[in-house]
Amino acid sequence: MEIPIKVTVNGEVYEHRVEPRMLLVTFLREVLGLTGTHVGCDTSSCGACTILMDGKAVKSCTLLAVQADGAELLTMEGLARNGELHPIQEGFWREHGLQCGFCTPGMIMAAYQLLEENASPDEKEIRRALEGNYCRCTGYHNIVKSVQYAAKKINR
Amino acid sequence: MKSTDAILHTRGESRYVDDLPQPEGLLHAAVFFSPIAHGRIQNFDVSRARQSEGVVAVLTAEDIPGENQIGPLIPDQELLAEEEVVYIGQPVALIVAQTAETARKAAGRIVLDVEEYPVITDPREAYQKGQIFGTPRTFQLGDVDAAWPHCEVVVEGHCEVGGQEHVYLETQRARAVPGEGRVIRVYSSTQSPYAVQKHVARVLGYPNHLIEVDVLRLGGGFGGKEDQATPWACLTALATWYTGHPVELVLTRQEDMLMTGKRHPYCSDFKIGVTREGKILAYEVRHYQNAGAAADLSPAILERTLFHSTNSYYIPNVRLFAVSCRTHLPPFTAFRGFGGPQGMFVMEAAIARVAEALGMPREEIQRKNLLQENDLFPYGQRVVDCRARRSWDVAMETYRFSAWKKRVEQFNRKHFHRKKGLAVMPICFGISFTATFLNQASALVHVYTDGSVSISTGGVEMGQGLRANITTIAARALGIRPERIKIESTNTTRIANMSPSAASATTVLNGNATLLAIRQIVSRLKSMIARELNLSDPDRVTIHDEKVWYRGSQTGWTWTQLVQTAYGKRINLSAQGFFATPGIYFDKQKEKGRPFAYHVYGTAILEVTLDCLRGIYTIDAVKIVHDLGRPLNRLIDLGQVEGGLAQGLGWMTVEELLFDEKGRNLSSALATYKPPDVYFMPDDLQVTFLENADEPIGPYGNKAVGEPPFMYGIGVFFALRQAMQAFRPRKDYEFKAPLTPERVLLELHREEVRQGCLRPATVESARQSD
Ligand code: FES
Ligand code: FES
Repeated sequence: MEIPIKVTVNGEVYEHRVEPRMLLVTFLREVLGLTGTHVGCDTSSCGACTILMDGKAVKSCTLLAVQADGAELLTMEGLARNGELHPIQEGFWREHGLQCGFCTPGMIMAAYQLLEENASPDEKEIRRALEGNYCRCTGYHNIVKSVQYAAKKINR
Repeated sequence: MKSTDAILHTRGESRYVDDLPQPEGLLHAAVFFSPIAHGRIQNFDVSRARQSEGVVAVLTAEDIPGENQIGPLIPDQELLAEEEVVYIGQPVALIVAQTAETARKAAGRIVLDVEEYPVITDPREAYQKGQIFGTPRTFQLGDVDAAWPHCEVVVEGHCEVGGQEHVYLETQRARAVPGEGRVIRVYSSTQSPYAVQKHVARVLGYPNHLIEVDVLRLGGGFGGKEDQATPWACLTALATWYTGHPVELVLTRQEDMLMTGKRHPYCSDFKIGVTREGKILAYEVRHYQNAGAAADLSPAILERTLFHSTNSYYIPNVRLFAVSCRTHLPPFTAFRGFGGPQGMFVMEAAIARVAEALGMPREEIQRKNLLQENDLFPYGQRVVDCRARRSWDVAMETYRFSAWKKRVEQFNRKHFHRKKGLAVMPICFGISFTATFLNQASALVHVYTDGSVSISTGGVEMGQGLRANITTIAARALGIRPERIKIESTNTTRIANMSPSAASATTVLNGNATLLAIRQIVSRLKSMIARELNLSDPDRVTIHDEKVWYRGSQTGWTWTQLVQTAYGKRINLSAQGFFATPGIYFDKQKEKGRPFAYHVYGTAILEVTLDCLRGIYTIDAVKIVHDLGRPLNRLIDLGQVEGGLAQGLGWMTVEELLFDEKGRNLSSALATYKPPDVYFMPDDLQVTFLENADEPIGPYGNKAVGEPPFMYGIGVFFALRQAMQAFRPRKDYEFKAPLTPERVLLELHREEVRQGCLRPATVESARQSD
């Protein structure tokens, strides 16, 4: 049995029929072809799959696609406006907040939510916002710096 | 310099294997693996899985057309188990279905009965039973037996270091796609495209040239995809060969953690003899490597353990013994440091024990025995361009060690249950593949008529910044903007017989190969322009800033003009460069040689604060002086130091890999295995690069940086030990890593634990202080 859902992703409306057990991340990656969202564990542990659902950072590996029915989603692909990088994207690039890049989408989306709620977070708040995200390549310091860079830029 | 990769990553546009557009008819696979660590297969029935809806095929060893063999060094590893299973997680069948979920569900319908055999998980037990890979190895220098009587103090001890899960954030994966005729193209997340090509060909009974392997990038590798990316690639290729469809296999995190090898656990015994002043005269060690159920790369890793068993120290009389032991655990494999860290840990433990016996600060013994120019390594290589003392001295001075130490002592006097520990950790790490033949690389450079450039090398981008490094090197050598340069995927049809991206040597080897290719093109261009402009001395032509210069002044020619003219004049604008590290060799009969092109040195100082009642601790500061040669890309190099350190600290502290006596992995998910998180790293992390430290082999004076910083992490164990000593001095704290908070607590309160309670007095006085 397939269930019809309607979701807005990065400003575009999509209507699809999906298996009730299909994960939201699978829907994004396989049905919509938005492969910017990654899967690092599928057990809510790594944060690589973090996206924004109605403004809240959620782990899309732990939600069903049907739970997103009627919701507004924002993924990595929707951050840049008219080819202009969002400050948080720019931050990761400038401060070398990434190496292999696999954790990056989740980190960026988690940081994005933080900055939406709190445009001048201190270091502690940044770390708290990222505590659900693993990065195996960096030592996290550059990731924190990337978020600080973005905060500065937003406030300028 | 940042590569285009970084921009793609921040946009979410970079592609990993399963992000590539899905080809028509793509099927998905799942692996059925052994739930038993050791036994003979009795009854194996896949019929119900085969009949499941959506299942296209279930493949077993019988379906393999070529050789069922993927062992990289020794042919002892079946792709799919035939008669015997030797570890939990060993692949036995592959299910190919319309979706990955269907395939996994069908795997649950497979019946496998195994007659269970005894399981060995302890390397010493394996050794006693003669279960070893290859032959034990012994490195010797001087005469240890003759030296013992001259030692004023001799101490002995045991060490146990745990394994380590790679947790590359991208799990193992591959996709195979049928090509024309019998060709199969494999997209693999591998550090070793050639190993994949070779083994797919072997399994299918094909010549290598029918298999094309393409690698765009990896979401982390750290050694875990050096040879253990091979089985998954082989399985997808087998399925493609069988079904004629493209097939993809992506391991879930838990499958990956169960089925793949990790860093080797080691058990070691040491004996060390010193003078009363702390000069080490003799050192003997026996390493028992837990290799798991197949040789994989273990013998090579064992060799590097021996190479690094005396770390940064000169010891005149040495006997180092190591043996690779077969157990019924997943085949342990390469991981940053490649056996070196395990060897160094034991050396540092021995020094700690000596320090405790002599009542001397550990760092004094370390400093007294540091390598100096012209000393000999136990493997016969002479120490040249030694930076052990230099990095030590710079670290002591830059970070004001004596004042720091005083502060720590003061803190410890003031506080009762919170104690600080401080440790110094020097490192010395040899650069080159220890298998000499692997130290070769090639690059293919094309210049197009619009002046843009395409470069292929045998190196794989896995986050270490290879693309950025090669771009920097090429832009400098060509004298053009980096934006003109594109680094291609790593592909076996463009680069043949490539060595794995490993041993920290990827930039060294492939960067130099790129330089050699570029120099050919540049020299052709220079000769041409000299002819065109009637210049007497083509060697005085230079290209930089996208312009052509002669004897330091502009000729008026631009890069694009130069290239277009060359094309019109039928000058070859492509070149292949080949680099082989000069002057290295090793004689395994004598266990002597010059295996390394050079060594990387460095010194770290680490501080921790330990809550001695709870066992919890923080790593407060790590300050490093590192020998990088001349930085190529400072940010990237720093990133490698920081990332390597994080993994090293994790290995020593929170990352606990556990197996039970049945060979079951008890830490096979991110819920039970903890890699460092965002709070883990010290707030105060400082890295200084040694100045004026160019390395002639380069490229551009650079030294390899991938692995060495990992070993700074070892220092945290000894900083914690010192904090423990400050709370409760005792000589018999174990050398058992990781030193998790739990283990710290149990060690500190051994008696109380034995009695079943903490002494109230301890708790009371703790309440009064702090
Ligand atoms: S993939 Fe969702 S948390 Fe890891
Ligand atoms: S950059 Fe590789 S996991 Fe974070």
